[in-house]
Amino acid sequence: MYPSELKYSTEHTWLKLEGDNKGRVGITYHHQNQLKQVVFVELPEIGTEVTQMEPFGVIESSKATNDLYSPAGGTVVEVNHSLEAKPGLVNHDPYGEGWMIVIDLSNPDELDSLMSAEEYIALITQ
Amino acid sequence: MTSLDKGMLCFVYPVLVNYSDAYHLQRRLLRSRLEGQIANTLLLMEHSPTITIGKFGKLENVLASPVQLEAEGISLVFTDRGGDVTYHGPGQLIGYPIIDLRERARDIHKYIHDLEEVIIRVLGSFSIGAGRDRRHAGVWVKDEAVAAIGLKIKRGVSMHGFALNVNPNLAHFSLIKPCGLTDNKATSICRLLDRDVPMGAVIERLLAYFSEVFDTEIKLAPGLDSVRSCL
Repeated sequence: MYPSELKYSTEHTWLKLEGDNKGRVGITYHHQNQLKQVVFVELPEIGTEVTQMEPFGVIESSKATNDLYSPAGGTVVEVNHSLEAKPGLVNHDPYGEGWMIVIDLSNPDELDSLMSAEEYIALITQ
Repeated sequence: MTSLDKGMLCFVYPVLVNYSDAYHLQRRLLRSRLEGQIANTLLLMEHSPTITIGKFGKLENVLASPVQLEAEGISLVFTDRGGDVTYHGPGQLIGYPIIDLRERARDIHKYIHDLEEVIIRVLGSFSIGAGRDRRHAGVWVKDEAVAAIGLKIKRGVSMHGFALNVNPNLAHFSLIKPCGLTDNKATSICRLLDRDVPMGAVIERLLAYFSEVFDTEIKLAPGLDSVRSCL
């Protein structure tokens, strides 16, 4: 439920480091489980600058909107438009088809402040 | 009360509050709550006639034209809560709890369930049998909506809240498709009881049940006694 190759933020988003200094971002199993059925996801446009631990989008379930917090800063280079028609992918496959954005990382050192899977599990088990 | 719970401070507003003013106040209170500067806070008020569209709401669910809305003196506001379109106006009790859900396991569903429970108990105290709809947050009496719920959670702290129909102008609800649902009829406490019920009586019961359901002590902000005489 918490792949060890990912890094995790305190706001329940994950980041997967990919080739060429890119980071793929989504929400964790824990977060989608808490939200239950996701009905809407708003994502930024390609080219948008995102900042670590600042909102990059909005997610809604059960008449509650929640901000989505970016685990790292940089420029959005890819957006998962499938989530517009199929927001349920976030619940069904949060680390796979439920991915949200890919960022061109402006400062890879920022990843040091993210948590490992063990630390994240410790956080949510408190 | 949990050891983390320092109780809740409640402000009751004696005059109509503009929706946008209340929104900006909530944002400031939420920031203070996040920084631990203040305790959980509950704002109780009525709004001037306003139709609000939620973050992912659809303008097409506002059935009236801008000309009609202006003729009726109804404002239209795009806001950032969950849920679709709803109507607010005098006679409808608005509750905006600013609560740190991080102290409540960040369980949004339990929070919504608890808000509904408070309202259900208030209605029960008036001998009105109300319930939930599994598919939609809110409170219904048979198939008519008596209370709407819409929230925004920011880093674990809630804002926006609920709207309970005590005696609003129900005709205004026909200007929208409430919550984007076809055939969604609205009702009110006064319509259901076929008698007048003062807002003050509803507020008293709401505070009592809120305290009970949320297991928290609620303190009224100073000056309430003079405010209550206006209700």
